[in-house]
Amino acid sequence: MIKKLGRVFSGIPGFDEISHGGVPKGRTTLISGASGSGKTVFSVQFLYEGIMNFGENGVFVTFEENPTDIIRNTKSFGWNIEKLVRENKWAFVDASPDDADSTVVGKYDLGGFLARIEYAVKKVRAKKVAIDSVSALFTHYQDPGIIRRELYRVASTLKKMNVTCIMTAERPTEEGQISRFGVEEFVSDNVILLHNRLNKRGGRGRTIEIIKFRGAGHDSEEAPLIVDKEGMSVYPRPKPKLRGKGFSQKISTGIKGLDELLFGGVYKNSSTLVTGTSGTGKTVTTLHFIMEGAERGEKSILIEFEESPGQLYSNAHSFGWDLEKHVERGIVQLVCHYPEDLRAEQYLDMIQDLVVRNKTKRLALDSLSALQRIYSEEKFREFAIGLNAFLKMQNVTSLLTNTTSQFLGITEITETHLSTATDNIIILKYVELGGEMRRLLSVLKQRGSMHKKELMEFEVTPKGVQILGPFEGVENLMSGSARRIEIRFDEEEAEREFIKESTRGRI
Amino acid sequence: MAGKYILKLYITGQTANSQRALINLENVLNNELKGLYTLKVIDVLKDPQLAEEEKILATPTLAKVLPLPIRRIIGDLSDKEKVLLGLDLTVESQGESEG
Repeated sequence: MIKKLGRVFSGIPGFDEISHGGVPKGRTTLISGASGSGKTVFSVQFLYEGIMNFGENGVFVTFEENPTDIIRNTKSFGWNIEKLVRENKWAFVDASPDDADSTVVGKYDLGGFLARIEYAVKKVRAKKVAIDSVSALFTHYQDPGIIRRELYRVASTLKKMNVTCIMTAERPTEEGQISRFGVEEFVSDNVILLHNRLNKRGGRGRTIEIIKFRGAGHDSEEAPLIVDKEGMSVYPRPKPKLRGKGFSQKISTGIKGLDELLFGGVYKNSSTLVTGTSGTGKTVTTLHFIMEGAERGEKSILIEFEESPGQLYSNAHSFGWDLEKHVERGIVQLVCHYPEDLRAEQYLDMIQDLVVRNKTKRLALDSLSALQRIYSEEKFREFAIGLNAFLKMQNVTSLLTNTTSQFLGITEITETHLSTATDNIIILKYVELGGEMRRLLSVLKQRGSMHKKELMEFEVTPKGVQILGPFEGVENLMSGSARRIEIRFDEEEAEREFIKESTRGRI
Repeated sequence: MAGKYILKLYITGQTANSQRALINLENVLNNELKGLYTLKVIDVLKDPQLAEEEKILATPTLAKVLPLPIRRIIGDLSDKEKVLLGLDLTVESQGESEG
């Protein structure tokens, strides 16, 4: 299962990429930074995303702000922590300063603190704990020896409980020692630094830098860190050196003409969204993708919400594909469900289990819309993002389908955040031309690669999808949505520019 | 009942610090406040929610709930004079308040 990976996803966009899969599982990781570097946001988001995306409950130990302040201050990110507390998914250990006057007479330890953390972890069955920030303990108790020993005890207790912990610590200045009071000494296996420095243009810029992870790989460069109205995101630097490995190797979609539009297929480990109105050929595209992998002996998963196994086999058979044979040989795992059968977290669990157990290389899901119909917008978004993050980590190339209405197609994609969660978007559409309904296919985006932007005509033949060629001499095929595409491209361009800018400024 | 002391001692099971605090405190109470106090001993390992409610981090912690102001003394209470001081209580001032 997931256990052997030894990592826990943070769910913070981009962080799991630079950390090569999240923070070490069942260990304590120190997050050190000067004030204003984003330690509290990181800690809160680490728990929040865990609950929302991966069903991992959390305990937040707060030393500076009280729980009410934290709930209020993170509302602007759209996070409803109050609700999670009510649902017993989130628990606070309130160690914020109180009015009670206290003196020290003789020997003591932090037994009360440890007992409260253990109690909270058991109460919500937490998988994650965030402690923000331990530096407050040192200023409060003025006996660094005792505090270090006690924090070590907290870390080892959580380790025994197999709970993953992050502890933040105050860094006196931007340069120099990692943290005040040498906190890193006892959690020295895993250390992350958050920076907030003046940049060359006179503004302040945040970055994140992983100093070390116990026996595990991670990016060693600083990566830009942004806190905006949706919380924190990390922007991993582009990796030109890794060419020929991972994200720069292309694989076939199974449709020759489509591969040509994509300049040789989709990147390995990328996710592709095939979106279109009902009946345009999404399921056959899915079958192309799965059969292509199966013929090469790649372990694949096909998750089907729209059709039964029988329908699917005969559907495949009509294109001359023996899907059943691959399923029987265990090359293709076919999962047919009614969307309502399981909850979002259960689908995620099931997919994670299957992928890890079978070392899956390809996954197709037909269709996301079936889930979108029954989940709230929030839940659906979490599912899509959670699934995508997991598949990335496991190096699975995925193809997901999405059903849209005829005219609102492109608007809908952007609204459900699917466009940011997926690397490539392919649009299928019916167009009315010369008194006929004809089929249109176009690549809307391909992350990190050139692609042809033409609107292509295609047919579904007994051999599957056949791309005929571009629609020529015709305007307004995408009707009112044409303007929308331009906007998406501009945003993409802006995002690339931004990342380029922010990385360049640092070298 | 005026002047009655209400005290809570938070301990962690049978640890040496906790046991010492209990013995030291009973000494002080029997000598200085005999019959004038109520002491409740709370084991945070058994009742962690009480530690959460009172925001107890360190153990042992002695909390003086009444009379006000609320005071807390952290540690095994090994110095009698400091304990009395921490409870806003000296032998002299106790005499005055009883008079």
